[in-house]
Amino acid sequence: MVDQLVSRLSAPRLWGWVVVVVVASAAVGFPLFDLGREVIGAGSSAALEVLGGDGAWSPIVNTIWTSSLVTVLTLSGATAVAVATGGFSARRRLLVLVAMASPLLVPPFVSALSWVAAYGPGGLIDDGIGISLPWLIGPVGVVILLVVNAMPIAYLIVNAAIRSRGERDLVRAARVCGATSLRAFWTITMPLLRPALLASGAITFIMSANAFGVPVVLGTPARFPTATTRLYQDLVLSADPAAFDRVLVLAAFLGIMTLVVVGVADMSNRDPIRLRTEPSGPRLDSSDAGRGAAMAVAVYFGVTAAVPIVALVMTSFTRGVGLAPFPPNWTFDNFREAFASGAGSAFATSLTLAVVAASVVLLLGGLLVALERRRRTGVGTVAALAFAVPGSVVAVAVLLAYGPWLRDTVLIILVAYVAKFWALGHRPIAGSADAISPELSGAARVSGAGALTAVRTITVPLLRPALAAAWLIVFMFALHEITISSLLYGPGSATLAVTVLNLRQLGDPTVTAALAVLLTAGVGATAIPIVALSRRSGVFR
Amino acid sequence: MNAAPALRCRGLTVRFGDVVVLDALDLEVARAETVALLGPSGSGKTSLLYAVAGLLEPDGGEIEIDGKPTRSGNRAIAPEHRSIGMVFQNYALWPHMNAVQTVGYPMRRRGISEDDAAAIAHRLLAKLGIGDLADRLPDQLSGGQQQRVGLARAIAAEPALFLFDEPTAHLDAALRITLQQELMAQRNRVGASALYTTHDAAEALAVGDRVGVLRNGKITQIGRPAEIYSQPLDLWTARLTGAASLLRARAVKVESDRVVVDVLGTSLTVPPIDCVVGEAVDLLIRPDWAELGGPMEGVVERVRYEGPHTDYLVVTAAGSLLLRRSGGPRLAVGESTGFGVLRAWGLPVER
Repeated sequence: MVDQLVSRLSAPRLWGWVVVVVVASAAVGFPLFDLGREVIGAGSSAALEVLGGDGAWSPIVNTIWTSSLVTVLTLSGATAVAVATGGFSARRRLLVLVAMASPLLVPPFVSALSWVAAYGPGGLIDDGIGISLPWLIGPVGVVILLVVNAMPIAYLIVNAAIRSRGERDLVRAARVCGATSLRAFWTITMPLLRPALLASGAITFIMSANAFGVPVVLGTPARFPTATTRLYQDLVLSADPAAFDRVLVLAAFLGIMTLVVVGVADMSNRDPIRLRTEPSGPRLDSSDAGRGAAMAVAVYFGVTAAVPIVALVMTSFTRGVGLAPFPPNWTFDNFREAFASGAGSAFATSLTLAVVAASVVLLLGGLLVALERRRRTGVGTVAALAFAVPGSVVAVAVLLAYGPWLRDTVLIILVAYVAKFWALGHRPIAGSADAISPELSGAARVSGAGALTAVRTITVPLLRPALAAAWLIVFMFALHEITISSLLYGPGSATLAVTVLNLRQLGDPTVTAALAVLLTAGVGATAIPIVALSRRSGVFR
Repeated sequence: MNAAPALRCRGLTVRFGDVVVLDALDLEVARAETVALLGPSGSGKTSLLYAVAGLLEPDGGEIEIDGKPTRSGNRAIAPEHRSIGMVFQNYALWPHMNAVQTVGYPMRRRGISEDDAAAIAHRLLAKLGIGDLADRLPDQLSGGQQQRVGLARAIAAEPALFLFDEPTAHLDAALRITLQQELMAQRNRVGASALYTTHDAAEALAVGDRVGVLRNGKITQIGRPAEIYSQPLDLWTARLTGAASLLRARAVKVESDRVVVDVLGTSLTVPPIDCVVGEAVDLLIRPDWAELGGPMEGVVERVRYEGPHTDYLVVTAAGSLLLRRSGGPRLAVGESTGFGVLRAWGLPVER
């Protein structure tokens, strides 16, 4: 089998595969294998002992119920918005899309910080009109912020599903057949949305269960632990050797639950309804349809994104804790102080990590696309699964595998980043490569181009936007990554996000706000070319 | 017996922003009548059907279906209460329902039990010759089979009025004709009225008891198919309904029941039109209204053999004439020929 494979590969392709396999097993395979061995080695009795104590059990229960609740709330909200705005004109639909999706640009822990700055005690609204939400710190706040963070992706998936089929005429056909609008929704719209709801449900659940930024900002101060925050405390803050057993149990729990959710969603979606690309019936816009829905989206955007971010920015300019975040109290000192407190080197660390991780992933992705003549040989699936593995689990696995040599270095964070973000880079490149019809380079060959010339003059120029988008996406995610780096950093290798977190725990909200604003600005600045590029390459269309 | 027409539209207006799609349109469909609406894309065909179905709120005008207004007070009657059956251009079959479930759907909405609906659906599908495809999903059916399911679904609604929205537009030529005949046979069997839109002239002329020409949101001409074909309102309508040539002539004698014209030195009598003796008149001549051999002279410029017949383009001093003759080519390009005009329809000269 291997002989056959090798004999059919030319030498460069063989070496290409060797590189891919080596990197994949070093970054993903070996660490996860090591983690599995360690968990099994610890034995079921040790695991039961850990679960018997409250230390692991209550975070696991908290993780399950918050994620379930977040999934239900997010799916209901996303479906309601997507259906209610489905009949909007193209321009208004774009506005809805921007309002629903732009919160993606705010890192989850920054968005939690911004809510505290806006609605928490001593926040903007408290200072302005004397209203604050004391329960924001605690389980309610955790659930709300997780919903806010999951909403963009869930909305994008459901909305794309609604738009991609001839649903307008399908619902109309049901109405003509005597179905009321409610009946048409339940018998036509919902069954057709099932695959999208399953997919976004699974993603929402996994994202929420594996979330770290939100619970660490809003849950930990209220002594509301989740699996990820307890794992962080045990691994980073605790000196108790028994705590490490708990780390293993929590990592195993997160990993297994992720696999189960992905598996269940995949199995119940075995027989997906095939989409058709026929004309989908005319759009019949009525200018005042759905005015209520438009208002609701605007209010949602204002309350969940605009006001908190404004509050965070105002806080970042405020002189001293306890002062109202209004112009008379404004200063630039926070930004200066942030850099004085080590943010400068953290910024350099994050930037280096992001650039190197993005470049490695880009090389891997480009190599894979060049090697996979026929797409979908399974490497893409492996990469996607690696992305589903929780950041906490990746970090623990990499720590187990390489800790003895690389503990506390930037390099160990880099290995974990490559493992985690590989799929992010692979998908746009593979998607774009799939979209390039083979006739294009065939036509070049027929026109007299050699094989290499055809790749250079046709394939690469067509792939260029996707390659750039892939690099920028990994760069953006690595820039604000917190889950992995908070578990793996050491003296001198703290990332920007970790520095924000530590400043927060030291209790300096204004300097924290300044640093969080800088971080978000960096992420936002990266996102602009990504959007422009992906529109051109059609990756996300 | 109720004498109200199956459909009556008065002053029907639909606007999308600044674009007027239907412009105060008037239309009646009598009981058991099929009206075929012929128009190019963008002429408002689909908007008209959607407005009748209640899927689109018109900006003005009235619609009555089976004598019943489609508004009560301020509220439009919902599509599900309009007693219509619709066949969609893109089939609009639900991807998650098999043929029986699809056809049973309108019956289930009327409260018929699931078993009864399935039994009736099976019978309907069998009548349409696709009884053996009853448990197939749409993506397991060909285009023609899908549209048969769509038709069965419309019939199952037992409507007072069928709406056919270019039902054969996505089918290939041979299948189109079969399905057209199927649609009309079923409509005749059920005896309901129908409004049928198409951009294909042959289809409109074949299916309609009357044919209406839709242009810029208005019905510019409506009448029996032969009338539309042989007495078109203007050159645009003539070209829409088939091949047509124009020869320039001069009015010699204008009477109340006929007009005598002179074309290429030959006298012809045509139906009366509005013109003045001595002035120019355009003669509309369909390809089958002229024959080879005759008093007029021309030169063959193009010959096109199409199997059952051959088309000749003959250039004359009064204009070019397309002439159709059964059988293979008898003249070569460049040859002079005599020809005769059997009949013609006069049109005022357009400037």
